Amino acid sequence: MTLTTKNQRPARDPWNVGFGVVASIAAFFTLLIWIPNDIKGGFIEINQIGKPEPGDAFFPIILASLMLVLSTGQLVGAVLSSKPQEASGKLTAHNLKFLFLFYTIVLAGLTVMYWLGPLVVDALRSTGVIDSTYRQLVDTAPYKYLGYVAGGFLMTTGLIAWAEGSIRPQAVLTVAIIIGALILVLDILLYNIQIPPNADF
Amino acid sequence: MELVWEYIVRGVMGVFFDANGAFDIIPMAMVFSGLMLGIVVGATPGLNGPFAMALSLPILISVFGVSNEALLPILGFLIGLMKGGTIGGAVPAILFNTPGTPDAFLTTLDGYPMAQKGQGLKALKISHFSSACGDTFSDIVLFLTAPVLAVLIENVLDLPEKSALIILSLSFMAAVAGKSPIKGLIIGILGMFLALMGSTLSGNGARLTLGIDALGNGLPLTSAVIGVLVIGEVFLALEDTARDRLSKLKAAVILPEGDNSFGLKDIRQIMPRICTSAAIGTMVGALPGIGTTLAATLGYDAAKRLSKHPEKFGTGLPEGVAATEAANSAVSGANLIPVMSLGIPGNFAAVFLILAVESVGDFTLGPSVFRFTAIKEIADYGTIINKDLVVAFGIFTLMVMGNFFNWTVGWWLMRSLGILARIPKTIMMPVVLLITLTAVYVQDGGFIAIWVVLAFGAMGYVLRRLEISILPFVIGFILAPKLEELIRGGYSASGGDALFLLKSPLAVFFMFTAILIVVFVSRQSAGKSESRNR
Repeated sequence: MTLTTKNQRPARDPWNVGFGVVASIAAFFTLLIWIPNDIKGGFIEINQIGKPEPGDAFFPIILASLMLVLSTGQLVGAVLSSKPQEASGKLTAHNLKFLFLFYTIVLAGLTVMYWLGPLVVDALRSTGVIDSTYRQLVDTAPYKYLGYVAGGFLMTTGLIAWAEGSIRPQAVLTVAIIIGALILVLDILLYNIQIPPNADF
Repeated sequence: MELVWEYIVRGVMGVFFDANGAFDIIPMAMVFSGLMLGIVVGATPGLNGPFAMALSLPILISVFGVSNEALLPILGFLIGLMKGGTIGGAVPAILFNTPGTPDAFLTTLDGYPMAQKGQGLKALKISHFSSACGDTFSDIVLFLTAPVLAVLIENVLDLPEKSALIILSLSFMAAVAGKSPIKGLIIGILGMFLALMGSTLSGNGARLTLGIDALGNGLPLTSAVIGVLVIGEVFLALEDTARDRLSKLKAAVILPEGDNSFGLKDIRQIMPRICTSAAIGTMVGALPGIGTTLAATLGYDAAKRLSKHPEKFGTGLPEGVAATEAANSAVSGANLIPVMSLGIPGNFAAVFLILAVESVGDFTLGPSVFRFTAIKEIADYGTIINKDLVVAFGIFTLMVMGNFFNWTVGWWLMRSLGILARIPKTIMMPVVLLITLTAVYVQDGGFIAIWVVLAFGAMGYVLRRLEISILPFVIGFILAPKLEELIRGGYSASGGDALFLLKSPLAVFFMFTAILIVVFVSRQSAGKSESRNR
């Protein structure tokens, strides 16, 4: 097993094989478990005038079967190929770490976006400052902006800080202007539109 | 002919006047603002036309609603964005050696050396002129061919042939859009399968929902497509810039010091290259799945081959700039040929036009649009008319207006956008993420849209990292309901014949060609990698 250049892989590229394996398993799972358990109609059904017509499972079964055939072909081709294969892309541990960090920051921002407003309103309500619920205040400033501003700010500046290694004043200013512009356009200038998370309450 | 003229007039009038006959400036204003924003977006590295279309669509739907009256303003804006995005990409390519859009990479080869010689402004003028020429040429081809093609298709193709044609288009896209046709096909089928979630055609209740009630109405189409296209790209760009810490673009504006005049003599010099490239770009654009980058490459290559001094290409030659810009701009009109005549999107910009049409009003793209039904006024009933055809001519009018604005005012904006190339991706991408999440939320009215965007974004990221084209996935996702309807209809109409797709010679031809393309391209890729390894 020799490598000649960095763009070449040995005949059996594990990523090509892996893709075939994952796709084959997914197709098998879909055909044998997902479709039978999650589609009420059949493959072919007899209509009211006694003629056969395709049921709800007709097209999904055709697609899953095609996927099985193709992924098996991909797998067999990748395993049996005697010719050196062109390097396919790959997912590294670094990529997965990035995805994890990215989603952590985004989900943290979205969590704040969703919960900050209701939590602040609950706190104010319990101290007797206001007597309304968040649901009653989803169209009242400043409550309706709390989550969006704080969550959006956290998510965006968090990603910038992580990507740049630091946070610069112009980045903070840019984010503040963008959030302000989005609120201005979507909430103040337009009617019947709710910015996150207010439509969920 | 009189009937055709009647439909054209009604289509044009539909853009300028509302249902009550009052002058309506909104569609025109939307094309103008879309074009301007498109040029700005194209001039910003990391952003491009389809990106901006993705972000705008949910907001436009929130603003204009989903009634028939909303369609032309929304499409006007998207068409403007599509056209402007291609033009704007040349600005940072010429001034900073940084292509604003991927297809503008080849513009850097001669554009940047021209800027270094103090001819940056001239290069921008050539780029704008060539882009506008290429775009106009391909629009004219679209106007002439789409109706003819559609009428032919509608007269010749029945359900099995139409099904086979969609399968052929998908196979072609899978074959040409990525490194491996088989992987492309698998991903295309996956996209189709996911599109079926939550739907039913037999009235037996939502299928494939995994028990999640929120998926009972299916995956939000726009959110899913935006997730794969935009968020996947945001992930990728952020990871790359975070790794490289390329927070600042260290390039200086090249001030115009040399000869920056652009007159008839220059036009005569570059016109042959523009004509060749416009033809190449139009042909490439008409084929589904082949993007502007290939058009620019072929245009540049052809210009070099036809030149008397090919060795000067890459040293700051106006013909080089003209060839690439005319070719990549010519794609934007031609890529609507499969959209208008078949209802099949051939690239990402077309995807968003289809999404807009599917989300707004009751207009449907496809061969049936160009049915020239006789216009009849019936007392106490109204007018019998093919309203879709009127809208189609309205869309053509919007495109002509886009070209008009591009020729007249596009240049003035384009020359002043050099500053945008300095906006770092590390700030741009998180901001794009926030705008995207906000836009899909306001359109779908709930966090479910955000979860779908993020889930499909992860999928888009993984596919990009595995170097598998996402185009077949997106096109499969969009075309699945149509293909299912055609296949079910064809099967029922054949009386339950399982081989109904192979009963018509034309359908057999399409299916055979689909297989042939996949096999041929697979063997070619294998051959390429083998020869590289020798």
